[in-house]
Amino acid sequence: MFRPEPMTHLLIVASRERMETVIRELYSHRVFHIRDYVEKEGEKMEGVSIGPPLGSASEVSAKLVRVRTMESTFGIHPGEITPATRKRVLELRETIDRDIAAVGNETDALMSRRASIEATMRDLEQQVRELAPFAGAPVDFDSYRGYETLAVYTGRIGRDVEIPVPHEKIFTPSPQGNFIALFVPLEHKAAVDPILQEARFVPIPVPKGAGLPEALLAENQGKLATLKEEMGQIDQRIAALKEQQAQFLATCDEYLKSDLEQAEAPLRFATTDQAFLVEGWVPVKEVERVKAGLSLATEGKALVTEVQEDPHHPVPAPVEYDNPVFARPTQLLMDTYARPRYDELDPTLLVAIIFPIFFGLILGDVGYGLILLAASLGLRKIIPAGEGQALLKVMRNGAIASIFFGLLFSEFFGFKLPWEPVLYSRHLSMGGEEAGHGPMVIELLVLSIWIGILHITLGRILGAINHGRHHGIRGAIPQLGWIASMWGLLILIWSIVAIPVMPDLTGAPVVVAGLTITGFVGLALLILGVVAIASESALELTEFPTIISHTMSYARIVAIGLSSVAIAVVINFVSIGMLIEPNIENFSVGSIFFILLGIVVFLAGHLLNTALGLVGGALQSLRLQYVEFFTKFYKGGGEKFNPFGTIRRFTED
Amino acid sequence: MVDAVTATQVVMSVEAVEASQLGMKALAASIAIVGTGLASAWAELSIGSAAVGAVAENKDLFGSVLVLTIIPETIVIFGLVVGLLLIL
Repeated sequence: MFRPEPMTHLLIVASRERMETVIRELYSHRVFHIRDYVEKEGEKMEGVSIGPPLGSASEVSAKLVRVRTMESTFGIHPGEITPATRKRVLELRETIDRDIAAVGNETDALMSRRASIEATMRDLEQQVRELAPFAGAPVDFDSYRGYETLAVYTGRIGRDVEIPVPHEKIFTPSPQGNFIALFVPLEHKAAVDPILQEARFVPIPVPKGAGLPEALLAENQGKLATLKEEMGQIDQRIAALKEQQAQFLATCDEYLKSDLEQAEAPLRFATTDQAFLVEGWVPVKEVERVKAGLSLATEGKALVTEVQEDPHHPVPAPVEYDNPVFARPTQLLMDTYARPRYDELDPTLLVAIIFPIFFGLILGDVGYGLILLAASLGLRKIIPAGEGQALLKVMRNGAIASIFFGLLFSEFFGFKLPWEPVLYSRHLSMGGEEAGHGPMVIELLVLSIWIGILHITLGRILGAINHGRHHGIRGAIPQLGWIASMWGLLILIWSIVAIPVMPDLTGAPVVVAGLTITGFVGLALLILGVVAIASESALELTEFPTIISHTMSYARIVAIGLSSVAIAVVINFVSIGMLIEPNIENFSVGSIFFILLGIVVFLAGHLLNTALGLVGGALQSLRLQYVEFFTKFYKGGGEKFNPFGTIRRFTED
Repeated sequence: MVDAVTATQVVMSVEAVEASQLGMKALAASIAIVGTGLASAWAELSIGSAAVGAVAENKDLFGSVLVLTIIPETIVIFGLVVGLLLIL
């Protein structure tokens, strides 16, 4: 909580022949984050180099490529398959070569047959396309060729033409383009050419082959139909094979991938002729287990040392979150911004609490909250585990907060619930019908500014802790200066003007220049703060206006919330006040249409407003965390803890 | 004679003055929202297009890019606040 999982920096040294044993042992624990050994120019140590992959690597990777090819052929994604049974690795190792070859051969045979059918079909379709224009002319293809004294024209033509010289002509009109075949003695060719050109003649070469076009066309189409049928059968067999082998392929994928990762692990090690060295991090709570495991596997022949970090230049450790279950889905929001660094506070828990509160304050409506709650619970069954599920849980928390604040604001789809709002009212009146208190905008805005002041102060306190931890009390001074300036400014303002829902300090006696005692206290605090900020760097003071702009930015909580209420009220007014109610009062046949229209407007309108509220509420709430809160203390940029090993779903030892 | 007619036309009832003031407030509020809305949209236009390009290059940038894109939204929020203060 507030800190990432503590890590121990481990160094493992052993002789080269123990390398495979050490790799297997580390892989099985899945808690060791390897720090890759990188050969740097100038820092290279004599005799030390990156290790060669284990002997089996190339063979395993060839098999994996084979399996992955089949997976992509069948469109299988192992992540989407639910494992039926777990296969024992020992059994798998014995049969995998034979089985992959068998499935592979069957797949290859089917695929190559499919490819050859596809190619033949393409050829036939091409021939059909070439033959089609000639279909209307009952002339053997042989008759178009082999003349010495005749010019033969075949092709499409815009319209029928009159040929003023001796000729033989076949003209077939067709909506796709008229076909013409024309035989003219060579000596008249010059006279015919311009006539054809004028009629937009486009020549089509005579296809190869002999026989009547009709007969050839029918023959080709018959062949095509047969091939299509065969293609259908092959596709069915491929689908059946996919169904049958999906589990097997996913299992092989997992097994080979883990084998390959192990075989290639030495590429991340530093090796000499005799020994190897691997560096990495293990969560503190797992260190003993890893040490014991390594000692057992290598009969105590591996040296495992815990590295003491140089306190001034620590090597940044990878970051694994350590949060209570409630806050875990929010880690997604943290990763979207940046994972915390190992040496800074992890604000996930704070975000997990504050984000839904802001969301609920913006979309404080029982009706919308219930819709979102139902959606987040309903979608849980459909959306696969992982980021989607985490997002749904975040949405669920937001929806619950929205219902809670809806009860306080007494809002249900923009209507008032049977009680008065517990906090300030956000109800808008429309059409002059609703009596009572209108929205208390000023109070609500000041309330949101209060939230901003507290949120920013919290951010600055966290910043002071972060800096203090690194640079001692001196590092924390500028951060404390920011807090002092902000509160100094506030006290100064309070002592000059009275603001509702904020302390009124204007009553104190005026000392000099119109300022009261409290005013001077505020001014002193402000000046002290500015000096403290400038003590680190005077340039920091350019950020000074953010004290006001960031605080004012929290007004969005109320502004967006009120606009959401306004949309809801308008929808209710249009659908019920203008369409449904008047038509029920003066009912006639035509009223049914307007009543139905009213219902459609009501449903579509509130659905749209729910979507707007979800997007607006979530983004604005998130932005207040990212921009206004995080900029005060959070840097991020930590490396994700990525343990060497895999989560097994299809295989077991 | 002419002066008398103009004078009666110019004099407005108290209700009319109130209604006119209300209308002016509503207009002022709408100007505040329209102006700031356009300003936000203009700013987000260029940020948004650059952001999509950056995310296409590197998906990890999504978080930072999201933040950058919604920063100008503050402008329209201020417009909304001013509008609300004017009319309510």
